[in-house]
Amino acid sequence: MVESTQSEFVTIVSNDGFEFIIPRSAACVSGALRRSLDPSSKFPEGISGRCELGEFSGVVVEKICEYFCYNEKHKDQVNVPDMDIPPELCLELLMAADFLDT
Amino acid sequence: MAAMRARHKIRAPRRGVSNANTEDFDSIWKVLSSSLTEINTKNASTLAFEEIYRHAYKIVLMMRAPDLYEQVKQLEQDWLQNNVRTLIIDSISSSLVRAQKSTDAQDQSSERREAGEKFLTVLKDAWEDHQLGMGMVTDVLMYMDRMVASRTHPPIYVACMALFRDHILRPPVRAGSALTVMGVLESTILFMIQLERSGHIIERPLIRHCIQMLEGLYETATEEESSKLYLTEFEPAFLETSKEFYQAEGQRLLEMGDAATFCRLTTQRITEEEERCRYMLSATTEPKVLELLDEHLIRNNIDEVVNLEGTGVRRMLDHDQLEVLRNVYTLNKRVDKKKQALTNMVNKRIVEMGKEINASSILLPQAPASASSVEKGGEKKPEKEKSKEKPQNQQTVSAIRWVDDILGLKRKFDNIWENAFASDQGMQGSIGASFANFINMNSRNSEYLSLFFDENLKKGIKGKTESEVDVLLDNGITLLRYIKDKDLFETYYKKHLSRRLLMKRSVSMDAERQMISKMKLEVGNQFTQRIESMFKDMTISEDLTTSYKEHIARNGDPDQKPVDLEINVLTSTMWPMEIMASKDGTVQLPCIFPREVDTLKQSFERFYLDKHSGRKLSWQASMGTGDLRATFVRPNGKAQRYELNVSTYAMVILLLFNDVPDGEALTYDEIKSRTRIQDHDLIRNLQSLAVAPKTRVLKKDPMSKDVKPTDRFLFNHEFHSPFVKVRIGVVSGGANKVENQDQRKVTEKKMNDERNGTIEAAIVRIMKQRKTLTHSQLMTETLSQLSARFVPDVNMIKRRIESLIDREYLERVSEDPPTYGYVA
Repeated sequence: MVESTQSEFVTIVSNDGFEFIIPRSAACVSGALRRSLDPSSKFPEGISGRCELGEFSGVVVEKICEYFCYNEKHKDQVNVPDMDIPPELCLELLMAADFLDT
Repeated sequence: MAAMRARHKIRAPRRGVSNANTEDFDSIWKVLSSSLTEINTKNASTLAFEEIYRHAYKIVLMMRAPDLYEQVKQLEQDWLQNNVRTLIIDSISSSLVRAQKSTDAQDQSSERREAGEKFLTVLKDAWEDHQLGMGMVTDVLMYMDRMVASRTHPPIYVACMALFRDHILRPPVRAGSALTVMGVLESTILFMIQLERSGHIIERPLIRHCIQMLEGLYETATEEESSKLYLTEFEPAFLETSKEFYQAEGQRLLEMGDAATFCRLTTQRITEEEERCRYMLSATTEPKVLELLDEHLIRNNIDEVVNLEGTGVRRMLDHDQLEVLRNVYTLNKRVDKKKQALTNMVNKRIVEMGKEINASSILLPQAPASASSVEKGGEKKPEKEKSKEKPQNQQTVSAIRWVDDILGLKRKFDNIWENAFASDQGMQGSIGASFANFINMNSRNSEYLSLFFDENLKKGIKGKTESEVDVLLDNGITLLRYIKDKDLFETYYKKHLSRRLLMKRSVSMDAERQMISKMKLEVGNQFTQRIESMFKDMTISEDLTTSYKEHIARNGDPDQKPVDLEINVLTSTMWPMEIMASKDGTVQLPCIFPREVDTLKQSFERFYLDKHSGRKLSWQASMGTGDLRATFVRPNGKAQRYELNVSTYAMVILLLFNDVPDGEALTYDEIKSRTRIQDHDLIRNLQSLAVAPKTRVLKKDPMSKDVKPTDRFLFNHEFHSPFVKVRIGVVSGGANKVENQDQRKVTEKKMNDERNGTIEAAIVRIMKQRKTLTHSQLMTETLSQLSARFVPDVNMIKRRIESLIDREYLERVSEDPPTYGYVA
C-alpha cells in the first residue's frame, strides 16, 4: 500500500486493530472517507491510502465496509435485496453513518 | 417487536466519543487550531485527517458549531493578515507603485515588467496555497459545514475565499494610500497585455493563473456567476484599456495610409485577441473585446479605409488583389451584414469602369466620323472609298469591343467575387445591379449586343470548338440579362438575323439554334417566338425551291434558257420588314424586271399560288442576289468571261446593257425609267458597279464619286479581275452595322409604336380579368407584366390608358381613388 495515490484499494482500520481492504471507489461512498483519502489533499491518509477509524470497533467497521460494497454493487438499481443489519448494531451504525457522512 | 427486544438487546452506543464529556471546547479547539495552522504552513502530512475530523465532530456534537465556525474564520483571517499579506506587500516593489501613477507606460518598461512578474508570481503562489489549504480545512470541517452552513452562513470555504478577497486584495498597499493590491494586480496585468499587444512576449500562464484567481473570487457569498471579481473588477478595466488602445490603433493604422496593411494588421489583431482571451483571459470576454475591436478599429474606420486614395479598394479592384480584398470583405462582414462600405465602393468602381467603356465606345466612332467628313471633299479616290467604309465599320468594331470590354470587366469581377468575396449572395446582387446600371446608361446597348452576336455568328465562331462557342454565347446572354429594354434587343437581333439568313452569312446554323434556345431560357418563349418562325420560313423556303425546280423540270419549256431560282418566302409579320420597305414610306412601284427574270417570276408566282391560294407575294428585290455570266471583249479582240455575283438590282441594271449596242451609254434617268428602281437603291448599286475600284463593270462619265441624274454609264470592256468569279457588294448595304442617326430614329419610332401596342394589350388583358381596378394597381400590374421585355415609361402607360378610354375599351368608374372599369 505504498503507491496509494494510484492504488485501487484502500485500507480501513478499526480502533481494535482490524484492517479491512476495500475498493477505493467503494470507500468513497462516504463523504468523510472520500475527503480523507483524496490523493490531492496533503493528509497522510490521502498519501498512504490507510484510514484509521478511532471511533469504531471491528464489528462496526466490518458492517460499514459491507455496506460500502453493498452500496456500490447496487448503485442506481431498483428492487435490490435488503441488507441484513443486526438490530444490536443499529444505533452504532447510525452514528457511524452520521460521522462518515454516508 | 416485543419478542425481538426480548431476545436481542440493542446495544446502547457508547456516548458519542470516548470520554467526550471530560474534554471541553477550549482544549479541543487548542488541538484543532494548531492543526489548522499546520495545514496553512503546508505541514498537513504530519496530521491525521481522521483525528482532526473527529475533533471537529466532537465540537459540533457539543452544539458549539457556530463558535467553531467563527473561531476558524478568525484564525484564517489572522493568518492571512499577518503572514500572507506581508509577503505580498513586500513583493510589490516601489516601481510598481510608481508606474501606477505615471502615465508613460513605455518608460522603464523592462523594470516594471520584472517587478510585475515577481509580484504576480507571489500573488499566484499565495492564492494557490490558500486555495489548497482552504480545501483541506473544508474537508476536515465537513461535519461542521453540514451543521452550520446553508442556514445563515456560507460554507466555510466560501467564507475563507471572501477573507482572501477582503484581507489580501482589497486593503491598501501602504497605510493611508488609496492604492489596493487589487489595483496593482489589475494594472500589472493590463500592463502585461499592453506589452503583448506591442509585440513583446509575456508569460501567459502566469497571467492566466491570476485571472483564474479573479474568476474564483466572488463579490457576494452566494457566488453568482455575475458577481465574479473578474467580471466586476477586471473585465471592465480590460475593456476600457482595449477600447483606448484600439481607438489609437485605428488612428495609427489610418495614418499609415495603406489600406492593405490596415486590413492585414486588423485581421492579425482579431486573431491575437481571440487567442489572448482563449489562453489568458476568459472565454466570456472574447465576444466583448471583439465587439470593441469591431466597433473602434473596423466600423469607425472601414469607410475611410475603403476609400483611401491610392491604396483603397479601388486600387485593389484595379490590380485584382484578391488576398487583400478578401481581408476587406471579412472585416466589413464583421461589422456590417450588408457590407455596405465595400459594396458601395465596388459598385462605384464598376459603374466608373463601365462608364469608361461606354465613353470609349462613343468616342471612337466619333473621331473617324468627323475625320471622314473632312475627307469627303478630298479628291483622292481610294481614300474616299476607304473613308466611306470606315466610320461604319469602325463603329461596328467599337460596338463589339464595347461588348468584349464589358465581358472582360464581368469576368474580372466574377473572379473577385468568387475568390475574395466568398461568393456572397448580396454582393452578387449588387454587382449585377451595377452592371445593369452602366450597361443601361448606354442607349445603344441592345444594338451593340446584337452586333456582337452578329459578328460572332458570322465570323467569330469559325474554328472554335463547340464548348468555346457555348461559353461565348453564354457570356453574351449574361449581358442580355442586364439589358432593360429587351424588346429593342429583339428588334435588332431580328434585323441582324434576317440579314444573316438571307445572305447566308451565318457560319453555323447549329450555333444560331443554340443561341435561340439560350435566349429562350433567359427571356422566355414569347421573346423567341418570332425569331423561331424566321427559321421555319427558311426551311420551308428551301423545300419550296426544290419542289419548284422539280416542277420546272417536269413542265418547263425546254427552249427557254433555264434560270435557276432560289427563293425565300417570308412571312411578313415575323420578319423585320423595315429593312426591305422603302425608306420614305411612299408607295413603291415594283421594279421592272428584265424579260428573262420576269417570266421566271411569273412562273413561280403561278406555281406558288397554285399551292397556297389566297396569299400575296411581294418581291423584295433589294434583298436578293443574282449570278451573271458576262463576256468582256478586250481591245485586242480577246473575250474574257467572268461570273459576277451581284445584287438583284445590279443584275437588272447590267441586263439592260444587253440591249444596248456596244460603246453606247445609258444615262441615269434612262436607267431609272427603264427599271423603276428607287433613287436610293439605284445610286448605291451604280456606285458599286461604276465607282468601286475593283469591281468597275460600268464606266461612268463624268468620273466622280457622286452619281448625278445626268451621268452616263457604259459597259466597261476593260474590266479586269484576277478571279473568274467576282462578287460585287452593294456599297454600305449588306453588312450589319451600327445604325446612323436617321436609322436609329426610325428604329426608335417603330419601337415606340410596338411598345404602345404591347402596353395596350397588357392593359386590356389585365382589365379583362379584373373588371375594375384602381389606377395605381393597374400601373403596378402593367409594369410587372412588361418588365420582362422592357421598362415602360409611366407617362406612356398613362397615355395608353387615356387612348383606351377614348376608344371605349375602358371607362372611368370613380375619381377618388381613380378607378377604371373594363367595357366588354
